[in-house]
Amino acid sequence: MEVTLRGGAAAGGAAAAAPAPSKVSVRNLNFYYGKFHALKNVNLEIAERKVTAFIGPSGCGKSTLLRVFNRMFELYPEQRAEGEVLMDGDNLIRSKQDVALIRAKVGMVFQKPTPFPMTIYENIAFGVRLFEKLSKAQMDERVERALRRAALWNEVKDKLGQAGTSLSGGQQQRLCIARSIAVRPDVILFDEPCSALDPISTAKIEELIDELKQDYTVAIVTHNMQQAARVSDYTAYMYLGELMEFGETDQIFIKPRRKETEDYITGRFG
Amino acid sequence: MVSGDHSSRQYDAELEQMRSRILQMGGLVESQLKLAMEAFETADVEKADTAIASDRRVNELQLDLDMMVNHVIARRQPTAGDLRMVMGVAKAITDLERVGDEAAKIARAAKWLKEKASGFRMNRIPDLRQSGEIAARMLHRSLDAFARLDGHSAASIIRDDAGIDDRFRATLRQLITYMMEDPRSISSAIDTIWAAKAIERVGDHAKNIAEHVIFIAHGADVRHASPEEIERAVSQG
Amino acid sequence: MSAAMAAPMTEDRRLPLHRRRKRVNAVALSLSLAAMAFGLFWLIWILFETIWMGVSGLSLQLFTESTPAPNVEGGGLANAIVGSLLMVFAATAVGTPIGIFAGIYLAEYGQRGWLGAVTRFINDILLSAPSIVIGLFIYAVVVARVRSFSGYAGVLALALIVIPVVVRTTENMLRLIPTALREAAFALGAPKWIVIRSVTLRAAMAGVVTGVLLALARIAGETAPLLFTALSNQFFSWNLAEPMANLPVTIFKFAMSPFANWQELAWAGVFLITMGVLVLNILARVVFRRRN
Repeated sequence: MEVTLRGGAAAGGAAAAAPAPSKVSVRNLNFYYGKFHALKNVNLEIAERKVTAFIGPSGCGKSTLLRVFNRMFELYPEQRAEGEVLMDGDNLIRSKQDVALIRAKVGMVFQKPTPFPMTIYENIAFGVRLFEKLSKAQMDERVERALRRAALWNEVKDKLGQAGTSLSGGQQQRLCIARSIAVRPDVILFDEPCSALDPISTAKIEELIDELKQDYTVAIVTHNMQQAARVSDYTAYMYLGELMEFGETDQIFIKPRRKETEDYITGRFG
Repeated sequence: MVSGDHSSRQYDAELEQMRSRILQMGGLVESQLKLAMEAFETADVEKADTAIASDRRVNELQLDLDMMVNHVIARRQPTAGDLRMVMGVAKAITDLERVGDEAAKIARAAKWLKEKASGFRMNRIPDLRQSGEIAARMLHRSLDAFARLDGHSAASIIRDDAGIDDRFRATLRQLITYMMEDPRSISSAIDTIWAAKAIERVGDHAKNIAEHVIFIAHGADVRHASPEEIERAVSQG
Repeated sequence: MSAAMAAPMTEDRRLPLHRRRKRVNAVALSLSLAAMAFGLFWLIWILFETIWMGVSGLSLQLFTESTPAPNVEGGGLANAIVGSLLMVFAATAVGTPIGIFAGIYLAEYGQRGWLGAVTRFINDILLSAPSIVIGLFIYAVVVARVRSFSGYAGVLALALIVIPVVVRTTENMLRLIPTALREAAFALGAPKWIVIRSVTLRAAMAGVVTGVLLALARIAGETAPLLFTALSNQFFSWNLAEPMANLPVTIFKFAMSPFANWQELAWAGVFLITMGVLVLNILARVVFRRRN
C-alpha cells in the first residue's frame, strides 16, 4: 500500500523528495503504563527501506513507541496499547497472527549486547530453528550469510564454535544484529544500539545500518542527535509522549518547522 | 530567532562574538566605501590613501572571523538556525571583504584621475554618483537587515540591485561619448570605468548579503530565484 | 569568600585529621583480624581433630566390611557408606527436578499473583525448618502407616530438605539473569518455554548446579531425619524397603558407645563425611567459576 509521506524538503531548496512507500503506518496510537498515559495520539509513517530515527529527551516515549512495533510490551501485563499500527494491511496490535510470527517479521536489537549463552553458530541458528527446518548445509549457509551481512564473518569465521560471550562489545552487538537478520525480517528495530559501545564500534554499526537499509526497513531510537543526523533518512522528534515533528532528516536539521524541535536540536534545553 | 539560551553559555558567547565581529567588519567596510567615494568625488588623495590603508584592517577581520567560524563548526556541530547563521556569516565575510577590495579600487582610481588631471571631470558624471549612493545605501541596509535578521528588508534590497545595473550601463554610454569626443581622455575614462565597475560590484555583494539574511532567517536559498519566489519565501515562517 | 577558603590546603592543616583517621583505621583492622583469627582458630581445630582422630581409622576394611556387632573386633563402615551414598543421591535425584521446576515457576511465571507469593513463603519456612521436624513428619506419615522404617522414607525426608534449597537457589540464579537477555529471545519470536529452557536456564546453569551441589552437601550430614525414617541397619543391604544403614546415624550410635573400635569407626565416619562435604563445596566453586 503506497502512502505519501508528509515530510518535505527545506522550503525554497531542492524540489520536494519523491514520496517513499510506507511500510508501517501508525494511526492514533495511545499507550499506557497502568494509568500513566505514555504515548499520546501518535501518527506517523515509517518509510520502506529507509532509516527512520526517533530522538527526544529521556522519558519522551521513543523506546516505548519502538516496543509497540514488535509487541514487546505484551510481556508486561500493566502495559497496553490502543490504536492502529498497520503493516501489510494488518493491525499489529490487534492481529490474529501469533505474536511469535509478528516478531519474526519485526526484529529488534537492544541497547546492551545480549549474546545467548551458546556458541556463535548456535546464537544465529537459534532464531532460524524456531521457524524453519534446515539441513546442516542450509543452516551453515544461512549463518554465514547473516554474519557476512553484519560485517562480522571475517572476524569469527574460524571460531564459530566459541561462546558468543567471548567476543568484544562491538562484535557482540554485531552478533545480535546478525541474529536478527538470520530470521529474514521485514523491519529491524534498533533501541539505542550504540550507547554501550566505543566510537569505533559505533562507526562500524552506523555503517552497517546504512547498508542494511537496502534490504530492510530500519527504525532507530537514539539519544545522540548527531547519530540520528548521520544515519537516518527521516527523523521524528518526540517530547513527553507526543510526536512533535516528523520529516526528512535534512529538513529537520536545517530548518525545523517547530520551535520545540529547533530548541532541542540546537541544545536549548532550558 | 533567538541566538541566546543555549545550555552552554560558552556557545552563546561564541555566537554573539561572531555576530558582533561581523557587524564591526561591516561598519568598517561601510566607512571605507564612503571615504573612497568622497575621495573620488573631490579628488582628495589623502582620503584615498586612508581608504586604501584601512583594507588591511578589513583583511585582518576576515581572517579572524573565518577562524571563529571554523571553531564553532568544529566544536559545536551547529544545527538548524545556528547552522544557517554560521553558514550565512561565513559567506557574508567573503562578500564584505570583496566590498573592501572594491572600495580600495575606487580609491586607487581616484588617485590615478588626480595624477592625470584631465580637463573635464569624469568623476562628476551624475549616473556614476547616483549609483554610488545607491550602492552605499544598499550596503547599509543589508548590514542593517543582517543585524536584525529581517527577511522583508532583505527582499527589497534584492529588488533594488537592478537599478544599479541600469545606471552602470548609462555611465558606460556617457563615458563612451566622452572618449569619442576627445581621444586624449580615453585613459581617464578607462580609470573611471574601473570605478563604475567597482560600484556595480558593491551592489552585487550587498545583494548577496541580503540573500544570506533570507537564508538565515527563513531557511530559503533564494539565489537565482524569481521575485515571486523570494516574496513567497519571506512571507512564510 | 575569605582568603582562607580560597587558598590551597596546607600540609599542617591536613595532618592532624589524617593521623587520627589512620589510628582509627589501624584499630578497626586489628579488631577484624582478631575476629578472623578467632573463628579460624576453631575451624582449624575442628578440622585438625577430625583428621587426627579419623585418619588413624582409615584402612581398606573400612570400605569392605560392614559394621561390627557390639563387642566384636574389627569391622568397617561399608554398609553405612553405601547406604548414605544411595539415599543421598536418590534424594537429590528426586528433589532436584522438583526444585528446579518450582524455581522456574517462581522466577518466570510467579512474580505477580498470590500463588507465587504463597509458594515462596512456604518454601522459606521449609528451608529453615529444623530437619528433625521433617524427620518426624515422614515418620508419622510414612513409617507409622507402613509400620516399618525404610530407606525410601529416608530418601523422602532428605528430598524434602533438598527441595527448598534448590528452589531458592534456582529462583535466585534465574532472577539474576538480566531481562534484556529474555527480551532478546522473545524478540526473535521464541515462545516462553523455549526462552526459559534454551536461554535463561542455560545462562543460569552454573548457579543452579552449584545450588544442587550445596543441597547435596547439606543432606550428606543430616542425622535427625534419618533417625526417624531409615533408622539404621547392622548388615549390608541394597534394599531401600528395609531400614538402611547410613553414616550419620551410625556415627551417632558408635560415638557414645563404650567400645573402642566403635569409637574409632565413628571418627572415621566423621572424617569421611567432612571430606565429602569439603570436596563437594570445592567442586561447587570450581563449577561456578568455570561456567561463568
